[in-house]
Amino acid sequence: MKNAPLFFLGLLGAVTFSWAGLVLGSHAQLGKLGPYFDEAESLSFPQPVSGLAARGERVYADLGCAACHTQQVRRPGYGSDQERGWGDRQSVARDYIFRGRPLLGDARIGPDLANLAGRKAGAPKQEELLRFLYLGSKTHAPYRFLFESREIVGQRSIHALEFPDAMMTAPGHEIVPTERARTLAAYLLSLNQSHVYPEARPVPREEPATEAAPAAAEKAGKAEEKP
Amino acid sequence: MINAPTHASLAEVTAIDTRGRGPLLLLLVAAVAWLVLSGILALIASIQLHSPAFLAEYSWLTHGRTQALRETAFVYGWAANAGLAIGLWILARLGGSSLRALNWTIMGTLFWNLGVAAGLVGIATGDMTSFALLQLPRYVQPLLLVAYAAIAIPGVLAWSGRRMNRTYASQWYIIAALFLLPWLLIAVQSMLFWAPVRGTLQAVAAGWYAQGTWTLWLAPLALAGAYYVVPKVTGRVLPSYEFAPLAFWTLIVIGAWTGGRHLIGGPVPAWIATVAVVASVMVLFHHVVLWLNLRVVFSGTGNAIVFMRFGFVAYLASGVLAAFTAFRGIAAFAQFTFMTPALEMLGLYGAISMFFFGSIYFMMPRLTGQPWASGALVVGHRWLVMLGIAAGIVALVVAGWIQGAALLDPDLAIDAVLERVKPALLASTAAHLILLGANLLLFVNVLQSAWAGCRANLPAGTPFRQPATLEATAS
Amino acid sequence: MNNAPENRDPRIDQAAVTDESLLLAHEKFLGKQPDEKARYRLLPLNLLFVFSGLIFFGATYLGRYSGHFDPKVFDETAPRGAAAAAAAPVDPVAMGRTVYTTVCAACHQATGQGLPPAFPPLAGSEWVNGSEERVIRIVLHGLSGPIKVAGTDYNSVMPAAGPGSGFNLSPEKIAAVLTYVRQEWGNSAPPVSVEKVREVQGQVGSRGPWTAAELEPFAQ
Repeated sequence: MKNAPLFFLGLLGAVTFSWAGLVLGSHAQLGKLGPYFDEAESLSFPQPVSGLAARGERVYADLGCAACHTQQVRRPGYGSDQERGWGDRQSVARDYIFRGRPLLGDARIGPDLANLAGRKAGAPKQEELLRFLYLGSKTHAPYRFLFESREIVGQRSIHALEFPDAMMTAPGHEIVPTERARTLAAYLLSLNQSHVYPEARPVPREEPATEAAPAAAEKAGKAEEKP
Repeated sequence: MINAPTHASLAEVTAIDTRGRGPLLLLLVAAVAWLVLSGILALIASIQLHSPAFLAEYSWLTHGRTQALRETAFVYGWAANAGLAIGLWILARLGGSSLRALNWTIMGTLFWNLGVAAGLVGIATGDMTSFALLQLPRYVQPLLLVAYAAIAIPGVLAWSGRRMNRTYASQWYIIAALFLLPWLLIAVQSMLFWAPVRGTLQAVAAGWYAQGTWTLWLAPLALAGAYYVVPKVTGRVLPSYEFAPLAFWTLIVIGAWTGGRHLIGGPVPAWIATVAVVASVMVLFHHVVLWLNLRVVFSGTGNAIVFMRFGFVAYLASGVLAAFTAFRGIAAFAQFTFMTPALEMLGLYGAISMFFFGSIYFMMPRLTGQPWASGALVVGHRWLVMLGIAAGIVALVVAGWIQGAALLDPDLAIDAVLERVKPALLASTAAHLILLGANLLLFVNVLQSAWAGCRANLPAGTPFRQPATLEATAS
Repeated sequence: MNNAPENRDPRIDQAAVTDESLLLAHEKFLGKQPDEKARYRLLPLNLLFVFSGLIFFGATYLGRYSGHFDPKVFDETAPRGAAAAAAAPVDPVAMGRTVYTTVCAACHQATGQGLPPAFPPLAGSEWVNGSEERVIRIVLHGLSGPIKVAGTDYNSVMPAAGPGSGFNLSPEKIAAVLTYVRQEWGNSAPPVSVEKVREVQGQVGSRGPWTAAELEPFAQ
């Protein structure tokens, strides 16, 4: 090879090129993205994340929850994200500006959590979440190590879990979520993407789209008749 | 048939091989040990997918953590060590002189593997980063960077001190891999850990890095092995070799642009995914040229060639499938399903690791100066690993297909989706079991061969035949 | 011309050629002019076709689905300017509804029916649907004393809501809430513009609450 310096320059150029284009390019566009002030509500969105939730985000990250749960709702046409009630609009970059580490995830072995606390139907309460984490389900491992079983001395802890079945706990004991469990629950309950930013609205369609809409409705009607 | 070498450079095994024996065997043994550990972790992770309560009482083995541990042990344990061993050896051989400054490699290897081990402990105790292919805690990453540089020093010396000014495709690929990984790591570390970028930009940076480890680091190391072993064993000039530089530069220049592939439909600007689609298709030019160059692999015989052949087919298939599944229509269906791990397995196991296996089978007897310890273990590993990889990919593709279809139906609860996928996941666990068995065979064989090689100097009667001179005839 | 040795033994793969000749044999192909030998011509042409095809595809696809490289476009099929169109100014009615619920509804009620004998109704009120000059002044500075609305007498104090008052509503919000009450509950008066509110505010400056009699000149 006669031009070794050229070879190295080429290598460096190639990696810098893709880095500058992809990473720096998007950084230049979105690196200073700020919250959106909603005149109508006199509030800016997304709302800042509480300290407890910010710590819970690290628990979520270090337990590897992102291996099974995504945190991104896609627009209609990409799966059934919105029909499943995971969110009413697609997630946009602005939703994540206050997240220390956005955990978008790339597998949906469990449900999407992007809008867990903002779900119209079935947003869980803290107590339910903690109970689910403790008990697990057929498809979710129980995370007992996030809780401690303590002997009740005097009054019950205000954080102790209530179980429908008293047999779940040893007599004279209570199940108390550890601090990690409570920060995790606080994080999960801070996941709210219910505010609609201008850029999150569906793109206004041209005329043909409105013509296609009745056709699609007709199709859906036919599909309903089928079964 | 034993030929006494008449000229040093004409002999098949020379001082180049014996000098590098110790450090390279160290890298190899470490690599295969990590491969076995990663196999155990993969088995646990795979069982947890259909039986979530498996080992659930241990906080250091949640499914998320076993996945991260498996991936890290595989990429930074197995693939890194194996790739570096192969790379250094090929650089030394094509450079025509023994590796120098090997103490750096030994120290680097020790610290690299110490770093990976510390990283795995860190992941298990709660310091994982949750970025794919970059799960190692931030505090071991600088150590890995330094260790990597130390390992690579003899490679760079072998390149700059090569006896002939001529270069060959393998050398370009290895030098690119040695040179580019540190840059990738520094760039991504600064953007994710030291001065984190805002919001979803972190996902863009992490995606760029994850794609970079594949296209700028592991794939070049694997291809270097293929470019070296295939003509060496088949004794043929690679057809259309004049286009090999095109294949190289297409991969290097366009490859990393496909980093936004997994963010399609997500909370990043639409152009990032669109650029990824275009890049995934454009990089197919690399695959076309590669096909022209390496198709002689189908005419060869021998153990290494079988691995190379499998890896070659898997490499081409993974390129085509990556481009195919990048398109929005397909991604809408396949995204977030088991298709993703299926493609990862096709790429990292089916292509990269099979290329590595082929290179290791060719390299090991030359390092130790004697044949592999056991022919039965070689054949056993060969069949089991091919069976395991094929079964694993098929199981995951079927699982991904079922899952993708089930997720589209909003009335089907997420629990019911998993229920439908369960049989395919059980099959995938079986595949991981086969792979673990296969790699245990390799581990035993590597240990035995390395032990034998360390004890003996080159035996008097070498089992290597005298290689002929390659005639440059156009094919 | 396969000069490879037979590789029957899985324990060792015999090499067919030396490293040196490997380098030499392959180096010859690099840097060779494509037209040096006739037979090299066909292949570059084929590859050229493949390459240009890929470039053509890439450029077309990028042009079509790049979302114009706009950071706020998440739908690649969005027409140009869609982001700006989606970012249209807030709907005054929606904003007015929020302001009404937080500021006005306590007295005038969510239904706009008021609460006799203190708080007059807004639904069907001639004060609301009538002159905008008058109703803007009421919201800006408040109103005290007796007032007759829809034939019924009311007597109470309405606090000022304009800038500098306790509610400190901006002209934009006053315009929005007035627009809202003027088209809600069966009312159908034209919307109130922000400019008009600013104009009135500039004319009057700051002052205490109005009485119904003082507002008489602005009834038209």
